[in-house]
Amino acid sequence: MDILTILLIILFTPLVASLVIILIGKERRKWAPAIALLGSIGILISTTGLFLESQEFSYQYSWEWLSFGENTFYLGFVFDNIGATMLAMVSIVSLCITVFSMGYMSDDPARGRYFAGLSFFMFSMLGIILSSNLIMIFLFWELVGFSSYLLIGHYFDKNEARQASQKAFIVNRIGDFGFLIGIILTYWQFGTTNLEAIAGAVGVDASLISHLIGGLLICGFIGKSAQFPLHVWLPDAMAGPTPVSALIHAATMVAAGIYLLIRIDCLLTLEVLTFIAYLGTFVAVYAGFCAFAQKDIKRILAYSTLSQLGYMAAILGLGYSGIALFHLITHAFFKALLFLGAGAVIHACHHEQSIDKMGGLFKKMPITATSFIIGTLALCGVYGLSGFYSKDAILIAALDSNFQLFLLLILGAFLTAGYMGRLIWTVFLGKANSENADHAHEVSPIMSGPLIVLTLFAVLVGLNHYWPFGLGGIVSLDLDHLHHLEHYKSMHKTVLIWGSAAWIVGLLGSLLFYGRGSKADRLQDKAPKLYAFLESRLWMDELYAFYVNKIQQRLADILSFLDEVLLRGFIIRGGAGLVGVLGVGLRILQVGRLNAYYLWFFVGLILLWLYAAS
Amino acid sequence: MHSQLLFSAIWLPFIIGVLFLILPQNKSTSSYRLLGITGGFWPFVVAWFLYSQYQSDGLGGYCFEFILPTGLESLGIYLHLGLNGISLPLFILSATVGAAAILYALDSKDARLNLYIGLLLIMLSGLMGTFASIDLFFFYFFHEFALIPTFVMVLIWGGLARRVIALEMTIYLTLGALLSLIGLIALYQQSGADSFTMIALKEALANQPLSETIQSNIFALLFFGLGILVSLFPFHSWAPKGYAAAPTGAAMLHAGVLKKFGLYGLLQIAIPLLPSGASQWSLWLCVLGLCNILIIGLVTLSQKDLKQMIGYSSVMHMGYAFIGLATFSILGAGGVLLLLVAHGLSVALLFLLSTSIYKRFASFDMTAMGGLGKIAPNLSVFYVLAIMASIGLPGFANFWGEFLIFTALAENESMRWVLYLAALGIIISAVYGLKSVGLIVFGNPPKHIQVFENQASNDMNFSEKTSALILILSLLLVGVFPKIFSDRANEALEPLYNSQTISSTASTAVSIFTSTSTEKSVHSDLDACEDSLALNEGLYHE
Repeated sequence: MDILTILLIILFTPLVASLVIILIGKERRKWAPAIALLGSIGILISTTGLFLESQEFSYQYSWEWLSFGENTFYLGFVFDNIGATMLAMVSIVSLCITVFSMGYMSDDPARGRYFAGLSFFMFSMLGIILSSNLIMIFLFWELVGFSSYLLIGHYFDKNEARQASQKAFIVNRIGDFGFLIGIILTYWQFGTTNLEAIAGAVGVDASLISHLIGGLLICGFIGKSAQFPLHVWLPDAMAGPTPVSALIHAATMVAAGIYLLIRIDCLLTLEVLTFIAYLGTFVAVYAGFCAFAQKDIKRILAYSTLSQLGYMAAILGLGYSGIALFHLITHAFFKALLFLGAGAVIHACHHEQSIDKMGGLFKKMPITATSFIIGTLALCGVYGLSGFYSKDAILIAALDSNFQLFLLLILGAFLTAGYMGRLIWTVFLGKANSENADHAHEVSPIMSGPLIVLTLFAVLVGLNHYWPFGLGGIVSLDLDHLHHLEHYKSMHKTVLIWGSAAWIVGLLGSLLFYGRGSKADRLQDKAPKLYAFLESRLWMDELYAFYVNKIQQRLADILSFLDEVLLRGFIIRGGAGLVGVLGVGLRILQVGRLNAYYLWFFVGLILLWLYAAS
Repeated sequence: MHSQLLFSAIWLPFIIGVLFLILPQNKSTSSYRLLGITGGFWPFVVAWFLYSQYQSDGLGGYCFEFILPTGLESLGIYLHLGLNGISLPLFILSATVGAAAILYALDSKDARLNLYIGLLLIMLSGLMGTFASIDLFFFYFFHEFALIPTFVMVLIWGGLARRVIALEMTIYLTLGALLSLIGLIALYQQSGADSFTMIALKEALANQPLSETIQSNIFALLFFGLGILVSLFPFHSWAPKGYAAAPTGAAMLHAGVLKKFGLYGLLQIAIPLLPSGASQWSLWLCVLGLCNILIIGLVTLSQKDLKQMIGYSSVMHMGYAFIGLATFSILGAGGVLLLLVAHGLSVALLFLLSTSIYKRFASFDMTAMGGLGKIAPNLSVFYVLAIMASIGLPGFANFWGEFLIFTALAENESMRWVLYLAALGIIISAVYGLKSVGLIVFGNPPKHIQVFENQASNDMNFSEKTSALILILSLLLVGVFPKIFSDRANEALEPLYNSQTISSTASTAVSIFTSTSTEKSVHSDLDACEDSLALNEGLYHE
């Protein structure tokens, strides 16, 4: 088979799965999981086939989709090393999560809708990965937003889900507003939105890029990857089912923002990149602090995701897009593992999500607990696990480029270990703090299986030299660049010391401070004001709520009132002159029978006829 | 043969409609149903068949020409029908919405069902005629012909305040129609053409362009006249109330199709024939269009009544069409055309679904609803998709319309301020769209709603589903493959919109209000050079 066919199969397999689930009607409750699973397996197999078929990963194909005058818009595929790496990650993670969902959602009556949504999400995500131009990226960009909206709103009878799904979609639309304008300006600047062509043009004449276009394009990233100030939707998005949080709001969709930045790297000016670096670092630290004041296990992980996305943005802003991709891949595996682990815990505790009400789960669910702890260690960057390699590279590169950012990123690493330590000590050690936790027991193999697979990946995926098919080419490129830096050895040593200190102090400190399986949050007891401050998260949510309810809604109501009273009441209806006269005239015509209109119409017609005939 | 088919799409619904009015009113049998379906679906079948046969080599770009003397030859008036790349998509649009509306209406339980169906069929026949007319008199005539059943339906089924609302609608629409009629007659008079057809007018004006003042005056008449018909700000207030009062079928056909008459007139006649008149009014087009998007968008946000919300949202989306027309480019005009089709389908779908939702809650008040997802899952899915279509989710036709208009706006640097403001509309529409989904679909059903045990009896029945599917599949078809309309439209638009002088004068008119941007690209510099060249040429000619 040629590459185009395989690419089409990969893209459309999940769409077909989703449509089949929708169309089979009443039987969907029974068959949906199996169809979705077949879809995921299909993606994995065809991806592998694609890798075997195409060794050098350079393929482009486009269709003319729409043309008016001299303007033609294309849709098309690009399949290169970056895309291939993403494709491998997405197909493996999504298969694990689909399998896990079969267990997690087994007693949900609406699982037909769930699996259809999941498959549709896969379709949209793969679309982003395979797009060769910005317009097609935007199409699928909006579609992932839509599927995320559907899946966050899965438990639609809950008010929480209603709010969260709306918030996610609208906040993303705000980002897309800038992104869309950015794409349009790019089109007029370069005459195309094909990324390769743009990169070529920029290579010839670097003055073609501008702050305006770069700044607008990254709005898309800020929305989708939930960076400040559009980060507010991601923690709330945890209202969706946990496997959805794992797939969409940790491993793939939120990482699409980073993927976009890697793709449009050539369009970003130095100032824009620096802005991204500072923004990312800020988010890495800010989200780390926020996580300390959360009690919901999923929300803690959500802030952790924000913080890690901040790391990726920071390193990308410093000019190492390969390392950003590296961290994206390692993060996808261990964060998916952590979310699925959290899902297993929540499932075992009968949908209890507060960590204060858990405790002592290590003995009750050893597989889950072990894999969760390994995931945590990978996230903290413990030596030998996947997170170590990517975080290490980030820190070395930061140390080389910008010492302030390096210090802040070390602080972020310390915070990460702190809040993750708080989470695991509270959840897994000590005694059960609620009846639900007391009755918890290990999850079924269909759920623990994916956990084990993801654990393996979380441990091993950091060894990028062993990635098959030569995946991750730009990762190796950036790493080699690092290794050949002048003071690489000494920097590596510094980073090793500081990085290890961060996670050791963080994990041990949190154990000493919070204790094992504690019932109440110690920070809240000892320093209620500090806790309240962290819980407020810089009042961003309140700010938005104030804007939406007090400013936007009031403005809308006032305009509506003016529209009703002024326009309708006085100016238009009360206005004398032609309108009034017509009104009187028509009032006369209108009295009486309904078909008076017809009568007058035909009278007029006959008059015209007579005039013409004479 | 093909032109006879085209004609039959007009007379067949009319005759069947008249039959429904004549036949005994209070009977409803399956033969009535069959008759109604024949009348409703015949134009649909014809439209797609003609689409497949379409070749753009006819006279003046028109295909399937059909000429019938009507006794008005001394005035240069013939019943002259035909389709080109611009009218073909709208012809298909009206056939599609008509079929869905009539199928849906056949299912309603109204006591005077036959009267209702009859009026809808007559309206449909007028609509088909409007977009098939080359002759401007009949273009106008068919529009009025379709408008009158609307008033009648509002008067009969319009709810409590029907007289006031019908009166307001009548005043506005008659005024709009009157102004545009004066404009059309003036155009005919001034052009010196020997017949009332668009082709003849185009030829006459190409040989002998009108002076700028005359162009400007005639364009103003057409702009405001047709604008009122399309609910241009601030002449929009008839629309939300009127649609809220109108029975579903009438609202679908009017908001979905008949309203497009005005924009179609601007797109096909006013702007290509009066280029310099249009460019003098381009700032007005932009500003009033932006008012439609931003002010009415916010007004939509505060609506609690579902049908009024849809009505206002439809007013809002017309703003995109006005600013798209103000670009005077093929790209912008193409975007407007796609948006007209898309908006017609999606707003008709929303009106259809709003009635289905009303049947479940016995209310249009969104704050009194909730939990539709539990009561009627299929209906909920349709509603969510319809809202997504109307807020421009890719995959639905609306996206391409908005996208092309936005892109066309950015072509001239002097027009970009319009883009920055207009694109805010995508946020505003997402807010009100999702808010309505949140209120209607999410949550739990209110206590007083009677929910049957068997979910199937709460959910959509066959004809509800079919008519909604016709619309949603059409939206997807155009959304996924915009080429099916765009290629033909492009051929038809190219001769109308390729004049360089239009866009340059337009951009200078708008640029007065623009702060100059410091960043200039190579391309825009080139554009600017070309523009000033073209402008100089224009001045020279004058």
